[in-house]
Amino acid sequence: MLDTSHHRRRTGERRQDPEFQAEYERTRQELAQVNAVMQRLDDLRISAGLSKADLAREIGRNDAVVRRLFTAEVNPELRTVAALAAALDAEIQIVPRRKVRRRRALRAAPAEA
Amino acid sequence: MQSTPRPDFWDVIYYRTTDGRCPADEFLDSSPVKVSAQLVAVLDDVAGAPPPRYSGGGRWEAMHGEMRGFYEVRAQGPRREQFRLFCVLENGTAQELARRGLSRPALAVITGLRKPWRTAFSERDYDSVRRLGEDHRAQFPRRIQE
Repeated sequence: MLDTSHHRRRTGERRQDPEFQAEYERTRQELAQVNAVMQRLDDLRISAGLSKADLAREIGRNDAVVRRLFTAEVNPELRTVAALAAALDAEIQIVPRRKVRRRRALRAAPAEA
Repeated sequence: MQSTPRPDFWDVIYYRTTDGRCPADEFLDSSPVKVSAQLVAVLDDVAGAPPPRYSGGGRWEAMHGEMRGFYEVRAQGPRREQFRLFCVLENGTAQELARRGLSRPALAVITGLRKPWRTAFSERDYDSVRRLGEDHRAQFPRRIQE
């Protein structure tokens, strides 16, 4: 069998560079969020007993469009994601991270003092 | 009946040319550090949750038309310069994977291209990618960077 460790070794070396590491981590987090949204929508679709074609009909789109969305073959447009969520009786929420809330609180504190 | 292995993660392999060059390595090394980090992060994301599961966060897209069979990883650099990494999937029965020299399915990174914002790659660019991809697929076992 071939030695397939080149990518792992290469990435491990590059991640020693703080600039590379920071961007790598930032990107992984961004991807994880998009993946989580799409996975959640797919879970809701399955729970609702809907096929991808059913869901496509619900939002008035071609079933190939929805099928490709759930297999990451195209970039999900926010408008389409919102339509899918609505069709599944769900909604998209943006939840501030604790760090952001703390930063806001700190900024507000001097004004209140 | 052949069994199809479905491991939790796939390998990421880099195609090597007949004269020993590794276009993917060269492309990643010549890209800005942040762009290179983004491209590698997408590769790791997809390899960690391989098709048909959703992964890649929209930065991993199947190509169509003449480029059918290729997938591209997308990143944007300074001044909105566009960076693309072209990959093919290595999947099949255990026997077929073994014929390719692989113990598990893999993303094979063929090469990369960059272009200014709002421009398109030429047919010649795509043809060069296809030729490298065809060379890769013609190798048993695969010729990869080790």
